[in-house]
Formats: sequence, C-alpha cells, structure tokens
Amino acid sequence: MELLFALGLIAIKIALLIAMLLLLPLPLTWLERKLAGHMQQRMGPMRVGWHGLLQPVADGIKLLTKEDHIPAEADRFLFKLAPILALAPPFVVFVAIPFGETVSVLNAEITLYVSNLNVALLFVFAVIGLEVYGVIFGGWAANSKYAVLGSLRTCAQMISYEIPMGFAVVGVVMLAQSMSLVDIVRAQSDVWNIVYQPVGFLVFFVAGLAEAQRIPFDLAEAEGDLGAGFHTEYSGIRFAFFMVSEYVIVLLVSVLSVILFFGGWNGVLIPLPPLLWFALKVAFFIYVFMWFRFTLPRYRYDQLMAIGWKVLLPLSMANIIVTGIVFS
Amino acid sequence: MSRVQDRLGTWIGWALFADLASAFTLTFGYMFSRPVTMQYPDKEKWLPYSRYRGHHFLKRDEEGEIKCVACELCARICPCDCIEVVPYEDENGKRHPAKFEIDTARCLFCGLCEDACPADAIALGQQYEFSSFSSRDLVIGRDDLLGKPGKAMTGGGVVTARLNTEEDVLVETSEPHGYNWWRNIRRT
Ligand code: SF4
Ligand code: SF4
Repeated sequence: MELLFALGLIAIKIALLIAMLLLLPLPLTWLERKLAGHMQQRMGPMRVGWHGLLQPVADGIKLLTKEDHIPAEADRFLFKLAPILALAPPFVVFVAIPFGETVSVLNAEITLYVSNLNVALLFVFAVIGLEVYGVIFGGWAANSKYAVLGSLRTCAQMISYEIPMGFAVVGVVMLAQSMSLVDIVRAQSDVWNIVYQPVGFLVFFVAGLAEAQRIPFDLAEAEGDLGAGFHTEYSGIRFAFFMVSEYVIVLLVSVLSVILFFGGWNGVLIPLPPLLWFALKVAFFIYVFMWFRFTLPRYRYDQLMAIGWKVLLPLSMANIIVTGIVFS
Repeated sequence: MSRVQDRLGTWIGWALFADLASAFTLTFGYMFSRPVTMQYPDKEKWLPYSRYRGHHFLKRDEEGEIKCVACELCARICPCDCIEVVPYEDENGKRHPAKFEIDTARCLFCGLCEDACPADAIALGQQYEFSSFSSRDLVIGRDDLLGKPGKAMTGGGVVTARLNTEEDVLVETSEPHGYNWWRNIRRT
C-alpha cells in the first residue's frame, strides 16, 4: 500500500511536470513576441484574443495542421528521431529539479520534486549534454547544406560551452558541500551564492545563453545566414518539437540560475510563499533572456569560440581556485 | 596621451559592462514607450494631410452645375495620358464634359491636372483606399468623380475606424480629427 501510494504520487508529479513543461512554451512565445514588439515600438500580436493572448494557440493549431514534410533525400529514420531526441533531455532533466521544500496537502507531506538525487547537478549536466544528439541527427538527416552547417555550429558551440558551464558550478558545489540541488538551496538560506560567486554566475549565465542558443549566441539558427540552422527542413509538428525544446531549455537555464545562485525558493525581505518566490525569480530570468535577445547583436563564429575558450574557461577555472583558497 | 586615455577609458568601460548597461537601459526604456503601430484597417486609420494628393474629384459650382468646361487642358498636360474628355454644349451654350474618364491605374498622382485647370474644376482629394482586383474598375467616370470626397480639411492624424465587410470592404470612420501620430515617435 505504501509503495503503491508512493508510486502514484510520483506518477502524478511527473504528469503535472510534463503538462507544465508542454504548456509553458505557449505563454512564453506570446511573451517573447510581445516584448519584441514593445522594445521595437510595435505592439506584437494583437488580433487573436485579448491583446493576442490566444496567438500561441492559433500558432499551435497551424503547426499541427501543416503538412509534415520530409525531404526526398533525407534519412527518414533519423529525421523522425531527431525532434524526439531534442525534446526528451530537457524534460528528463526536470526530474531532478526541486521547486520547493515539502508542503502538506491533506495531512500528507508532499515534496515539490520528483526525486532528490544526491548527484542531481551531475545528472542535469549529463542529460542536457544528450540534447546535442538531436541537433546532430536533425542537421545530418535532413540532407541540406544549411542544416548540416547549422548543426555543426551548434555541436561545436554546445560542447565547448558545456565545459565552462560545468566548471562554473563547481564553486557552488564547493560551498554547499553537496551536489544535491535541494542541499544547495538549503545552503543558501542565509546568503545567496551570487554574493560569493559573482564570477561563477557570470560564466554560468553566458554559457547558459549559449546552451539555449539564444541571441547573442544563436549561431545555430542565425536566420540571416543559415535559413534556420539545423531545423531548416523541419515543418509542422516536428518543428514545434524543436521550438518547445528550445523554450524548455530557456526555462531550465533560468531555473538552474535561480537554484544555484539566487537562493532557490529562499525569499528576502518580503515573506511570500516559497513557491511564489521561486516562480518570480524564474520569471525574472526568463525576462532577462528575452531582454538580451532584443538588445544584443549576434556574435561572429570565431568570436563565439574565442569567448568560450579564452575568456569563460580561464575565468571559471580561476573561480574554482579562488573559491578553494578562500573557503577551505 | 589622450589616445592612451581613451583606450584606458574604453577598457574600464568594458570591464564594468558600461556598454552593455547602456544598451539594456535603452531597450528597457523603449519597452515602456508608446508603440507607433497604426492598427489599420479595423481599429484605426490615417487621415491624410490637406496637401495630400489622393483620388481625383470634380467640383460643382453654386448652382450645382459641374464646373468643368471641357477645355481638355488637363488631358493635354497629363504626363500619363490618362484623362479622356468629350465635350458637349448645353441649351445655354455652355460647354460641359459629356464624358470625363480618368484611368487611375495609369495616373501617377502628380497633380498637374489640378494645376492646369482654368476653371478650378478638378482636384486631387483625400481618398486613398481604392484598390481593385480589375484594372477596368479603376477607370473612373464623370459621375463617380463628382461624388468622390474632396480635400482633407483637418489633415494628418490617426482616427478610430472600423472595417465594414458587409457588401464592399470599406474602412469607415466618422471622426474628423485624429491624434497626431508623430507624438508617439521617440527621439533619443
Ligand atoms: S494627377 Fe497627373 S497623372 Fe494623374 S490624371 Fe492628373 S495630370 Fe494625369
Ligand atoms: S477639368 Fe479643368 S482642365 Fe480638365 S477639361 Fe475640365 S475645365 Fe478643362
């Protein structure tokens, strides 16, 4: 009975998580287009629903009813596999992400995470690294020069930025003496990590921008010079998979920034429910992502590589050394 | 020396992310400025300035008689050769156009016909929404020209409008004055 209850709880949590992650991209696309519009003195979507609120639904219907086109020369199996490979890892990662401490519902203590892995951070980075397969296969299988070039760029970018990203969080692990994300947040109940780890955060966030392939590091889909990068040939629902995966990664990087550097669900000054604090912080980071997008131009490819290897990597290593010396 | 200082200043600025900060404040400021979008055609539309050269119209005099004396000067001066006038003489011995056609598909809205007219009979008015699926519909006859809207009186503004798709697609408005669209343009 106990076991059954626990299993049922996990199933419910996973269902909720998946529903949330699948639905969140809808308001996020709306928000992004609204912000883009207003930053350029336009209005953004206005016609479907109140201030275009139903626009994402209309877009979803459009994508679902569009022809699902597979190029004649494409590798059909890989072509169909790639969107799923791109979509799955960001979803899997959220298994290890805590959203808060336990809450009691109907006299039952319910934890706000699916599992509290003791190597959660390692798990997150390992699984997120798998996303690159979707990109490689997608670009390769489509048999198009834009797609191949885009996927090559993306792979190089993701692999080289994963290294500084991984090093940047080592400082956090050293401070918390744990790799469990719950413990890391608990360790920040007094002082947020951003105070001790400003450089670590900087490196993490820049690398996160590159991971999520957002401007200024969106070379993968550089609309101007590559069509749309590795998903040039995708249409309909498969294209939607890539879009959803992109937004989930944006969400993931925001959530990780909050958990690792901004105290997770620990609030300051104003006593709000922890979950609300968490959501507010994540929302702020998502806004920052979009703000970046409509402010900065795109980097050139060699600049991207130079930033990754010559600036971020040394910075993150220096951060580890300094953290080790100061806090040991 | 000053170049070295400039360099130094640039480097210090970069180290403190001054360039990024100014960029972000700029876009943040823009986010809260008024959008310049004109929601044509179902919410707003543009009222042209009084000097605007839109669709032609023919004027009548005080008695309600058509002013045009069918001198064909406008047809002569028209660089596109798009006016066709056929005169007739009424019972009082006055010349009037029996046929007056303007092919607005060819017209370049130069306004020369307006300038040339000795009787101040033709002018270019306010209307600018007269696209059509057939170029034949763009040849406008005398009676239609007499009914076209005249010069804009107020000039330059955005008014609320609504789209009437009942029979003909029309952008209707009843507002004579609009707000000055230029006030929304942010100059930094
Ligand atoms: S506006 Fe110019 S082109 Fe048009 S009818 Fe008059 S003279 Fe001809
Ligand atoms: S509109 Fe004026 S210029 Fe043209 S025929 Fe009539 S009177 Fe002459």
